[in-house]
Amino acid sequence: MSYDPRRALDLLRKGTGLSDARFRDGQEEAIRHVVEGQGRLLLVQRTGWGKSFVYFIATRLLRDQGKGPALLISPLLSLMRNQIAAAERMGVRAFTINSSNIEQWEGVEEELKQDEIDILLISPERLTNERFRDRALTAVGGRVALLVIDEAHCISDWGHDFRPNYRLIERIVRNAPKNLRLLATTATANKRVQKDLRQALGPSLTVQRGDLHRPSLVLQTIRLTTQAERLAWLAEHVAALPGNGIVYVLTKRDAVQVADWLCLHGLEAHAYSSDTVQREELEQALLANEIKVLVATPALGMGFDKPDLAFVIHYQAPGSVVTYYQQVGRAGRALDAAHGVLLSGEEETEITGYFIDSAFPSREEVERVVEALETHPDGLTQPQILAEVNISHQRLKRTLKLLSLESPALVVKQGSKWQLTAADLGEAFWERAERLTRLRREEQRQMQEYVSLESGHMEFLISALDGDPGRVEGPSLPPLPTQADPERVREAEAFLKRTSLPVEPRKQWPPGGLPIYKVKGNIAEERRAQPGKALCVWGDAGWGGLVRRGKYSVGLFADELVAACADLVQQWSPDPVPTWVTCIPSRRHPDLVPDFAQRLANRLGLPFAAVLVRCEDRPEQKKMANSTRQALNLDGALQIEGELPPGPVFLIDDMIDSRWTMTVAAWLIRSKTSDEVWPLALALTGPGR
Amino acid sequence: MTEQLSPNTQAILLLTAPLLVGSKRSGEKPLSLGEYKRLARRLRDGEREPADLLDDPLDDLLGDCDLDPARVGSLLARGLQLSQAVEHWQARSIWVVSRADTEYPKRFKQRLGMDAPPLLYGCGARALLATGGLAVVGSRHVDERLICYTEKIGRLAAEAERMLVSGGARGIDQASMRGALAAGGTAAGVLADGVERAALNGENRRLLMDGRLVLVSPYDPAARFNVGHAMQRNKLIYALADAALVVNSSFGKGGTWTGAVEQLDKLRFVPVYTRVDGNGDSALEALRRSGARAWPEPATPEELRRLLEVDDTAPAPARQERQASLFGEPR
Repeated sequence: MSYDPRRALDLLRKGTGLSDARFRDGQEEAIRHVVEGQGRLLLVQRTGWGKSFVYFIATRLLRDQGKGPALLISPLLSLMRNQIAAAERMGVRAFTINSSNIEQWEGVEEELKQDEIDILLISPERLTNERFRDRALTAVGGRVALLVIDEAHCISDWGHDFRPNYRLIERIVRNAPKNLRLLATTATANKRVQKDLRQALGPSLTVQRGDLHRPSLVLQTIRLTTQAERLAWLAEHVAALPGNGIVYVLTKRDAVQVADWLCLHGLEAHAYSSDTVQREELEQALLANEIKVLVATPALGMGFDKPDLAFVIHYQAPGSVVTYYQQVGRAGRALDAAHGVLLSGEEETEITGYFIDSAFPSREEVERVVEALETHPDGLTQPQILAEVNISHQRLKRTLKLLSLESPALVVKQGSKWQLTAADLGEAFWERAERLTRLRREEQRQMQEYVSLESGHMEFLISALDGDPGRVEGPSLPPLPTQADPERVREAEAFLKRTSLPVEPRKQWPPGGLPIYKVKGNIAEERRAQPGKALCVWGDAGWGGLVRRGKYSVGLFADELVAACADLVQQWSPDPVPTWVTCIPSRRHPDLVPDFAQRLANRLGLPFAAVLVRCEDRPEQKKMANSTRQALNLDGALQIEGELPPGPVFLIDDMIDSRWTMTVAAWLIRSKTSDEVWPLALALTGPGR
Repeated sequence: MTEQLSPNTQAILLLTAPLLVGSKRSGEKPLSLGEYKRLARRLRDGEREPADLLDDPLDDLLGDCDLDPARVGSLLARGLQLSQAVEHWQARSIWVVSRADTEYPKRFKQRLGMDAPPLLYGCGARALLATGGLAVVGSRHVDERLICYTEKIGRLAAEAERMLVSGGARGIDQASMRGALAAGGTAAGVLADGVERAALNGENRRLLMDGRLVLVSPYDPAARFNVGHAMQRNKLIYALADAALVVNSSFGKGGTWTGAVEQLDKLRFVPVYTRVDGNGDSALEALRRSGARAWPEPATPEELRRLLEVDDTAPAPARQERQASLFGEPR
């Protein structure tokens, strides 16, 4: 294939909309390399450098010469919308297939068949999706001329961001014949990651590497132990910052809470996480400077490109320097100066540690899954495994995914069923798990080292990424204050205790139903609980600590919790209004919850009646690792004793985990009455909380 | 243990394999065995190899072998589909070898020459394919008595420490393999459909992992059963064995009959025996008239071993000219 420099420049100008645009350092060489088929290429260039121009222009030039379409695999397609618009200006027809546009798949599949698509953008998850493999990939897989692997560092299990699905991509790349053009791109790849990529992509790989320094960033770290202090700091300083920015948090709950807090202080702030429905609108609003700040989990990630983003503030330290560099690096791309402030607090190590420890299944979990599958030679569906094995839904999903991405895999999915293959799980799997866990711990430690820096932040980041820190210039903005105003800290403490959490009623019995109660399928509407409330999340920064002490140290829930629940009820004002109070019984702690419910009833001026009893001892719910097992553990365990007082009722418990206890109790109460049952608990627990 | 395919195998897969990743097939029809033979000869004569098709202009390489360069070009452009398919197989412990690989079973090359399947897919210990043994063939629909009889033959093979070779189909095939495996022996199943389903069958799992069972097929791992395939694979069953026993057969039709007649009349890879206790079985009698021997009912492992020793009195193989491996000797 021949490379046409004039056509390439013309495309660049169309794409950028600038009639005098010139290629950046390295862009044209990369395009030529791909078009001429000089072999596989790895581009290590910062976000915003213009990697997308390389693959879009190369695609157009290849298509001009009658080649098949390109396939781009990227973990975060939602962020490619701006780039797709640029592609269209260059006459590159780009489409994505992802879980959010299922209604368009058929049209895209048809256009693929007609060869009307120049580049198809998919997420790594698509490759394991059966329907995608069956339809779209069959339509295009036979003709793809260029394969683009975005965020290629994810291939390396030495990378900070190793993703299980990239193991599949790695093998697909390994197995690809040399006549398939391949371009891999990433913003960060230290030497170790580059070595891995060379191994995966072949010895003839060419690497093109740019500069890591971000001269416009003013980096700063501030330790503020409690969440209240950090909230106070944000309220005080974010409003004063010029321009718009991002506050990164580690959990979805923090995203909501911090955004609420900033809104209370008159900032246009929104929470952004993988649960957020209108992610696209929020990104657009931030791009258009319509919102001051997005409070985002790492779901707002790679590839989000807002050149005039004025600040990136972290509410907690992320788990690794590379993650931090990538996130903070979104600020100030086209500005002379921008703030990158890292707030560091007490809970961050526990949260990042949780992610590290839950990344891999235990040997025992794998053994249990294998045993279950061995006794069923025809395979089991995921719900069937959950009923057989005491393992949480999330962990099972992750376990199956990791095991099925090995090669040879231990398990594979054939249709809807999981089956064992004729292979054992090699020791290499466990060795890798241990090595990765050690590596993650080391990264976590390195991040704390960064937090402690007094100066030289940028040099530290560049050195950690194996770049050249020689040319770093000093900051051009004065640093922000490092203290929080005590008055605001008290306000934040009160705010953290004011929140309440919704508890959605369950509408269906577990797969297979509950045989003793003789129920299955849908729960009749007139037998369900009403939407309930919980005061806090187990162990959180508001009431969480007090609940934990009450349950495990003191054996009594403090009066403050009674008062807090009474306040919650007042704000909540469920309608129709409950006229009495009852609670979930326990044989292990016979007085703890009834005592609390009695005091709450007194405070609310309502009668208390213990109408629910335990028929027999069962293991604690928290020892049941998944929802199906938790439901079965309750089957036949509760019953109603005595007469029910008239009217709707508050159903009190200390903790809500799977919601099955509340579901079964409400169902029993409503077998005797048509009045409503309103669940109210002190804390939400459960996996990940 | 993830093996990387050689560029030659990649090229042969691109040219001849359907590469079923999804349930739907699309695009150009892969080269038939005949078409591929023409191309392979052409490459060999020019001292080239299939991998050269991946980077050299096609027109020179295809020359006069009467293949449409556009079709060959679009088959070769299936690189992504190929890598997806290979990954799908490797995850399921399914291997693939081509005639260009040293691991390709020598028995097939020696006995079938240019007719040896360009590709073999399989699961389990490939080394078993070199060990020879007793082939047992027969019908799918048989009565309990014949099943028992066949299982006993399988057990005897196991006791004699000889592999049992069969076709993995219901009836005689499975009974013979079951007999051998239950008695601790080894077996090779040459399948007429793809190996994927059998490779994932829980009952085969331990046997495959322990190296006692090997499944092999020239058809795509996801291929469904088809009569043509079943006929074609008969010669592979005989080619893996040192002797063959026909337990029963329909007369003048069906896979067992056709395969046996082909052996007796044409291919003559191995001595063909027929069961004799079924007096009055017209098909078996007819096969004996065509040169099949009467099964002497060996009663001890020693007797069976002797029967499987290379038999000098057997008719000479029809094609003695030993084809060198397709692309020079294995490298």
